[in-house]
Amino acid sequence: MADSLIAGLFLLLAVVALLLAVLALRHRVAFRLGVRNAARARRRTAMLLMGLLIGTSIIAGSLVVGDTIDSLALHYTYLAVGHSDEAIGDQSASGNWQPFNYSVYGSVQSAAPGDHEISGVTPEIVGSVSILDRTTDIPQPSLNLIAVNGNQSAVLGSFVSDTGAVVQGPAPGEVILDDLAASEMNASAGDSVVLYGPNAQPVPMVVQAVVQDNERGAFPTGGVGNYGSAFIDLSAGQSLEAMPGSINFLVISIAGGESQQLAHSDAVSAFLNTTIASIPAAHGLAVDEILKNAVATEDTKGSGATTLFLVLGLFSIAAGALLVVGIFTLLAEERKGEMGVERALGLRREELVYSFLFEGTFYAAGSALAGTALGVAVGYGLTYAFGGLIRTAGISEAALLQSFTVTPEALVLSYVAGFLLTLVTVAVASRRASRLNIVRAIRDLPEPDPPRRTYTYLALFGAIAFVLGALLYAKTYQGTSAISDPVIGGALVLAGLALVAARFVRNRPVFSALGVALLIWGGYEPLRTWALGTSHGGGVYGVFVEGIMLVTGAVLIYAFNAATVAAALVRLAGGRRKRAPVALVGLSFPGRRPGRTTTTLAIFALVSFTLVIIAAVGSSLDASLSTLEREESGGYALVAFSSTSAPQLPAYVSGNATLSPDFAHVVPLSTGPINVSVNGSNLAPYSDSVYSAPTGEPAFSDFYSSNQYTYSATLNGMSASQVDQELSSDPGVAIVDQTYSTVPDNLATSVPAGHPQVNPGAGIELTNPLNGNTTFVTVIGVMTQDVLTGVFVNPAAAAKLGVTGAQIFLMGVAPGIADATAALAAKKAFFPYGLVVVNLENAIASSIATTEGEIELLQIFVGLGLVVGIAAMGIVAARAVAERRREIGMLRANGFTQGMIIRAFLLEYTFITVIGLAIGTALGLLAVWNLTHSAQATATGVTDFAVPWLNLVIILVVAYGLSMLAVTGPSRRAARLPPAVAVRSSE
Amino acid sequence: MADDVVVGKEVWKIFGSGETEVAALRGVDVTIGRGEMVAIVGPSGCGKTTFLNCFSGLDDITRGSVHLEGADLAAMDDRKRSDYRARRVGFVFQSYNLLPILTAEENVALPLLITGVGGDEARERSRQLLTELGLGERLTRRPSELSGGQQQRVSLARALVGKPAIVWADEPTGNLDEKGTRQVTELLRQLNRDYHQTIVVVTHDPTVAASCDRTLRMEDGRFVA
Repeated sequence: MADSLIAGLFLLLAVVALLLAVLALRHRVAFRLGVRNAARARRRTAMLLMGLLIGTSIIAGSLVVGDTIDSLALHYTYLAVGHSDEAIGDQSASGNWQPFNYSVYGSVQSAAPGDHEISGVTPEIVGSVSILDRTTDIPQPSLNLIAVNGNQSAVLGSFVSDTGAVVQGPAPGEVILDDLAASEMNASAGDSVVLYGPNAQPVPMVVQAVVQDNERGAFPTGGVGNYGSAFIDLSAGQSLEAMPGSINFLVISIAGGESQQLAHSDAVSAFLNTTIASIPAAHGLAVDEILKNAVATEDTKGSGATTLFLVLGLFSIAAGALLVVGIFTLLAEERKGEMGVERALGLRREELVYSFLFEGTFYAAGSALAGTALGVAVGYGLTYAFGGLIRTAGISEAALLQSFTVTPEALVLSYVAGFLLTLVTVAVASRRASRLNIVRAIRDLPEPDPPRRTYTYLALFGAIAFVLGALLYAKTYQGTSAISDPVIGGALVLAGLALVAARFVRNRPVFSALGVALLIWGGYEPLRTWALGTSHGGGVYGVFVEGIMLVTGAVLIYAFNAATVAAALVRLAGGRRKRAPVALVGLSFPGRRPGRTTTTLAIFALVSFTLVIIAAVGSSLDASLSTLEREESGGYALVAFSSTSAPQLPAYVSGNATLSPDFAHVVPLSTGPINVSVNGSNLAPYSDSVYSAPTGEPAFSDFYSSNQYTYSATLNGMSASQVDQELSSDPGVAIVDQTYSTVPDNLATSVPAGHPQVNPGAGIELTNPLNGNTTFVTVIGVMTQDVLTGVFVNPAAAAKLGVTGAQIFLMGVAPGIADATAALAAKKAFFPYGLVVVNLENAIASSIATTEGEIELLQIFVGLGLVVGIAAMGIVAARAVAERRREIGMLRANGFTQGMIIRAFLLEYTFITVIGLAIGTALGLLAVWNLTHSAQATATGVTDFAVPWLNLVIILVVAYGLSMLAVTGPSRRAARLPPAVAVRSSE
Repeated sequence: MADDVVVGKEVWKIFGSGETEVAALRGVDVTIGRGEMVAIVGPSGCGKTTFLNCFSGLDDITRGSVHLEGADLAAMDDRKRSDYRARRVGFVFQSYNLLPILTAEENVALPLLITGVGGDEARERSRQLLTELGLGERLTRRPSELSGGQQQRVSLARALVGKPAIVWADEPTGNLDEKGTRQVTELLRQLNRDYHQTIVVVTHDPTVAASCDRTLRMEDGRFVA
C-alpha cells in the first residue's frame, strides 16, 4: 500500500516534469526568460522560497507528527505486551482461564526448538486476587494475579523498580506489585499483605518490590481496565487459586525485535496450533496472538488520532495554500509593468504565461524540497515540545523522542503535494497575470471593473453551483449522518445565489449579504438544527467545514466593507491631532486595498479560529465536569461492583452505625449479559448488559425514588420521575444508556460499530445468551449517562430473562462526606466480597485530564499555522516597502518623521492582524458555544461553555506580538530610506 | 538679507568615493529672495535635481552651507528637518507622487494633518484650495481616476495648502501635454503672485522658465551666467 502510494506519487511527479520539459523545449524564449527572472534577483528569490516552503513544511510537519503519534502508540503497545507475544490457554465465556495440566508446558517446551522463532515458553497462572495491605489497612479487590516462577521466566525480561533497579523474583512468600496496584493500596516494599483467592483463604505475604507496570511488569493481556497486578511465585499461585499441579496460561515469547516479533506471529501461531493438536492434555486449548491483536487494536485507535491531527492540520495547510496564492499574486502585481513592456515588444501572451510558469517551477521545486526538510525539523521540534509538556500518565519524554518517525511516504507525499500546490497556484496566477492590458500595465494604471460579460459567466457558474448545492443538500440532509455534506450543499446554494445576484446588483451588498448568510448558516445552530435535524454528526471534518465557511463569511464581509471600517477608525483618530496623519496613511492602505490584505487576514482568521476552538473545548470541558458528573452518576457518586453476590449490602450499610452516616443511598442492581435486537433493524443482535433495580425497597435503597438520572429523550416528553414510575410498574418498558442515542457524538467516536441506535417508542427484543430467555420491551427513555451501558428493565422483565441477585451497588454519599472517604469505608467493609468501588468523579476527572493533555498537543500542532500567518505578514510588509518607496519618499518630503513612517506601517499591519484574530477568536468561541448548546452536547461531554481567558490572552498576545516583530524590520527599513532617493525610485 | 529665503554657499555634493567619486554640485553659490519665482534649467545630468534635493533638505550636502529662512539645514536633525519641511516647504514632482489610496481631498489635507491641524479644518482648507484650482468636482476621486493635469493640480494644492515659505517643483510639467503645461505654469505664477511664496522650478521647458522671474542655468554642477 505504502509502496504503491510512493510509486503513484513519483509517477505523477514524472508526468508533470515531462510535461514541463516538453513545454520548455517548445517555448525556449519563455524558458530562458523564466530562468533569468528566477536567477536575477537572488534576495527576492530567497524570500519567495522562504514564503513558499512554509506550506510544504506544514504538510510535512503534519504527516511527521501523525506518524510519530502512531509510532508512540505502537511503542506503548509493545511495552504493555512485553515479551508475552502469544499465549496458549482456554478462556471460558466468562473470561476466566481454565486450568490444564502442568505437563502441557513440558510438551510445548520440548517442541519449541522446532521453531527457531520461539525464544521461550513460560508457565503461568493468571487470575484475580484481592489483597489487604495490613500496613496501610487499605484493601484492593480484583487485582490481576500472575503466578510465575522467577527461574522459568527470564525470557520475559526483568522487573524494574521505580528507582530503575532490576528486581529478581517473585520470591516465594513474597508478592511483587506493579505501580497501579501499589498506588491503590498506598503500598510499598516491606508491607505486610494478605491475599485472598477464589476460596477466600487468606495467604499472608510481604511486598517484595513495587515495579514499573510495563514490559515485564505488564499484565500479559494488556491489563485494560485493571486495578493493577500482583506477581507471586507459581506454587503459591497454584495454592491460592486451588489449581494443584496445574497452570492456566502458557506464555510464548518470539525472538527478535518488535517488528520481527510481529512479522513472525502468524508462523509461530501455526506451529503452536500444530504442536498442541498433538498433545492429548492440551485438548481444548487455543493459541491467542496477544501481540498481533494488541497492535491491530492500537492501529484502529491510532488512525483516529492521526485523522484528528490531520484534519486540524488542514487549517494550517489551507493557511499555507493561501500564503502561496498571496505571494504569487504579489509577484504578478509587481511584475505588471515589466510584463506590459515584454508584451509591447512582441512577446505573445502564451509566452508570458510560460515564462512565469517556468520561473514558478524553479520556486516550486526548490521550496518543496526545502519545505519538506524544514517540515521534518518542525515535526521533531513539535515532538520535543510535546515531550516537555506531556502530562498524560505513563508516557515518557524519552519514549516520545524515540518514537519520532519519518516515513518515506510522508517525505514523498509532502514534496509532491508542496510542489504541485505551488505549481498549480503559479499556473493560475500566470494565466491571470498574462491577461493584462499593455497600456495599463506599463503606466501602472488600476484595472477597471470587470466587463458585464464576466458577471454573466459568473452568474451561469452561480446557477450551476446553486443546482449542485441544492441537489447535494436534498440528497444528504436526511440521508447521511455526516453533517459536512448538507452544510456544503447549503453553502453552495448561497454562493450560487450571490453569483447570480452579482450580475444585477452591485458587488458590495451582494457579497456582504453572502458573508452574513454564510455566518448564519454556519454559525447559528438553531437554524441548522431546524434545517438538518439532530441526527447528523460528522466528527472533526464537520469542524473543518464549519470553520472554512464561517471564516469565508467573515472575510467576505471584511473585504467588501473594510473601507468603511477604516474610515470610521481614521475619523476616530482624527480627533487626536498627532495621530491623525499616521492613522490616515496606515489605515487607508488595508481599508482601501482589501484585496491585497484579505489573504493575510484570512490566514490569521483561520489559524486563530482553530487555536481558539481547541482552547475553548478544553475550558468548556473543564466547566462541564460538574454537569458531566451529575449526568453520569445519577446522584450516586460511587458505583460498586462485586464478583460475589452481596444481596444484604444495602441493609448492612443502613444498619451499620459506622457506615450509615457516610451514605445517603445504597441501591442494588442485578445485571447480566443480554443481546439486543431492535425491531425493524437489520443489525445483528448487539451484545450488551441488562440492569434491574428491585421495587418495594425502603427509601434508602430505592432506585426509583433516589436516582437523579437525566434523559436526552423520553417517550411523549415524559418527565424523569414519570419514566422512573413507569419503569417500576411496567415490565414492558425499558430505558437505555446514552450510547443508544440517535444523536451522534460530534467529537468522540466511542460508540462501537454495530451498536443499535433507538428513539423513545422503539421496540427492542432482549435475549439472555446464557439461557435463551427472551422478552420484548418498548424504550421510554434515553439516558444521558453511559457509565452503566445497556438496558434498564423492570424487575419482572429481568426475572423473565433469568437475571437476579445484586452485583452492582449505586452508592449516594451523604452530604458533607468526601467521596473518597466513603469509597474507602465501603471498600474496607465489603472487602471479603471483593467489592470494587469506583469513584465516578475521579474517573471522569481522569478521563478529562487525558483529553486536556491531547488538547495541549493539538494546540501546539495547530500553532504551526501561526508561523504561516507571521511569515505572510513579514513577506507582505517587505514587499510593501519595496513597492511603496516613492510614496514613502513623498511622505518624508512632506514632513513625516522616521517614527511616523514606522507607526504608519505598524498600524496598517495591526489593523489586519487584529481584525483577523478578532474574526478567528469570535468564530472559534461561537463554534464551541454552538457545540455546548447543540443536540450533540451531552454525547460529546462538552455541556457548559467557558471562555478560556488565559489561553486566549496567550494566543492573541503571541500572535500579535510575533506579527509585529515580523513587520518591524521592513518598517524600519522603510523609515530609513533617504527621502531624496525614495521619492524618485520606481521599482 | 532678511528677505533671502534660500542662501547656499560653496555647496558641494559628492556621490561615491575614490574612483567612483562624482561631484554633482561643485561649490554652488546661490541666493533666492522671498516671493521670487526662479527657474533652474540645464542639460540632463547637470545636477538640477541634486540641487533641489540638497537645498530643500531632502538630502545632505558634502561641503558648504545651506540656509533656509536663515536656518542652517546642517544643524537640524532628521526630526527638526522633517518638521521644517512639514511647516515651511512644499514639493511638486514630475510624477505627482500622490498617495494612490487617498482621495484628492485627503492627499491635500495630509500636510496639514502632519503639522497638527485638526481633521475638519484640514479637510475644509483642502476642499477650498482644490475648488480654487478647478477640482471642486473631483474631491473624492483617487489619483487613478484623475487625468495627468488634474493630478498635477492636486499635487500643487498639496504643496501650497500649508502656505509654505518655499515650493520646490521638480519638472512639474514633465508629464503633461501642452495644455496641461500651460495650466500648471499659469497656476504656479498666479499662486506666486497671490500668496507671495518663493517658488523654485527645475525644468527643461523654456516656456515654464520664461514665466519665472529669474532663470539660473546649471552646467556640470555649477550655475553659469
